[in-house]
Amino acid sequence: MITLRSSDGETFDLDEVVAVELLTIKNMMEDCCADSVIPVPNVEGKILAKVIEYCKKHVKSTAMAEEHAISDADLKAWDSDFIKLDQATLFDLIMAANYLDIKSLLDLLCQTVADMIKGKSPEEIRKIFNIKNDFTPEEEKEIRRENQWAFE
Amino acid sequence: MAGWSQLPKDLLLLIAQRLNTRFDLLSLRSVCSSWHAFIPYSLHPLPSRFPILPTNGTSWGLYLSRRRILLLRLPESHCQSTTSSWLIKVEEDVPDMAHLVNPLSTFQFRHFPPNFQKKFAFSRFRVLELGQEYVLQYMNHRPSGEADEGSLHKGKVTFSCTSNGDDFVMLTIHVTGKLAMFRHGNKKLTLIDDMTSPCDDLIFFNGEFYAVDNTGRTVVVAIGSPPVLSLVADSVSGGNKKSLVESNGELLMVDTYFDRVIHSIMERAVQFKVFKLDQIRRVWVEIENLGDRILFLGEKSTFSAVASEFCGCAGNCIYYTNSFFFPCGQEDDAYTGIGIFNLENGNMDPLSSFPDYAKVIWPPPAWVYTDNIGGV
Repeated sequence: MITLRSSDGETFDLDEVVAVELLTIKNMMEDCCADSVIPVPNVEGKILAKVIEYCKKHVKSTAMAEEHAISDADLKAWDSDFIKLDQATLFDLIMAANYLDIKSLLDLLCQTVADMIKGKSPEEIRKIFNIKNDFTPEEEKEIRRENQWAFE
Repeated sequence: MAGWSQLPKDLLLLIAQRLNTRFDLLSLRSVCSSWHAFIPYSLHPLPSRFPILPTNGTSWGLYLSRRRILLLRLPESHCQSTTSSWLIKVEEDVPDMAHLVNPLSTFQFRHFPPNFQKKFAFSRFRVLELGQEYVLQYMNHRPSGEADEGSLHKGKVTFSCTSNGDDFVMLTIHVTGKLAMFRHGNKKLTLIDDMTSPCDDLIFFNGEFYAVDNTGRTVVVAIGSPPVLSLVADSVSGGNKKSLVESNGELLMVDTYFDRVIHSIMERAVQFKVFKLDQIRRVWVEIENLGDRILFLGEKSTFSAVASEFCGCAGNCIYYTNSFFFPCGQEDDAYTGIGIFNLENGNMDPLSSFPDYAKVIWPPPAWVYTDNIGGV
């Protein structure tokens, strides 16, 4: 059993087989802290909880015996529900998945964000992700030029 | 609390890798200062027009033009009317200069409405890239005696290149009906003899070149020396001309039935049948209903769209063109030769009978050039 502690002091117990999905933690386990609580200073409790939820589900699906295994389709469906999150949580999750080095979660989140961006105008993207337009007037001019057609 | 504008460069690039079109990448670049710095501008190093022959860097010769078929739409919050989309085909010849071409033919629009701002920012809109078209043209000089290459520009062209443009392959239908291939570095076309019947159409789909002949027999062309054809579907019986089109990630074939127009040598399309590829059994299977999709069979390209994104009309129809015998003279003829075939009831009507659908093509909708949306 491995114990992780989030930046805000919450602790989470997980089986070793789940903990090794978080490659950063796996490396730490190998290097030193196998017996004590492993601190995860970059990640808040509620985000770490979500990360662990994802890893538990995905470990279960690969480790299970044939008769109890979750089908690919069911796992995909579970993933689709999992990513129904507000943009702030998505951001925190991406940063956490990157720090904790969980490739499949990072891929899922990046694809989710890409799908939210496809076909949208820059202003729409700003609205969705609550981003401020912080271009200087010179930069604005350059952007305008890049995004412009001059028709003959 | 950090926000998305503080997303580290490598994570932003991971997301950007999953965007397929130049316009999505440009949009991403235009969001905020840090994203602008992280995403490189020369996203498509290939110009829209680049030389095929001769290969010794002259300013004349045979060029390949690339055009993009785009659906422009108002961002959601601004949708007020049903004609909130504009279907265009754009050729960007030199940086910043663009030509508008009829999406279904080769007719160039030259006469814009009086208020149309010739310079406009497409970043105000949602831009969906529906397809690409390649056309071979002579620039500045047409050498005499080059009979082989001179007949090229009548056939359909498909094209594929590496992401930095240093290698490309072009496949086209030669005037004899044979497949012809041209690779970067070649001096002339290579004719491929292995098609048993004349080739009707080509498409670059899922990373591979597909060719269909007049009987519906379809092959994948593996590029190599020599190129290798492998069977993908057997012939179908019935119509006169086969076309390949991508729809919703699948490869479809449309079989057009022609009828001779009385007292003339012209032909007129009278029916269409649509087929889906069964890759395992290697056959084309007829489908009766396209659901929410619309197929477009243009002169030099095919593409598809989701009906609700296109014009708010019902799907399950095919836009087609017989414009080679209805020459387009002026803007008023922007719709001439374009028809709509409805799969449900078999009706065929000219586009001009549906003003709401025709407006999606020409003239440019008012919201495109009345600048009340503003901003970058």
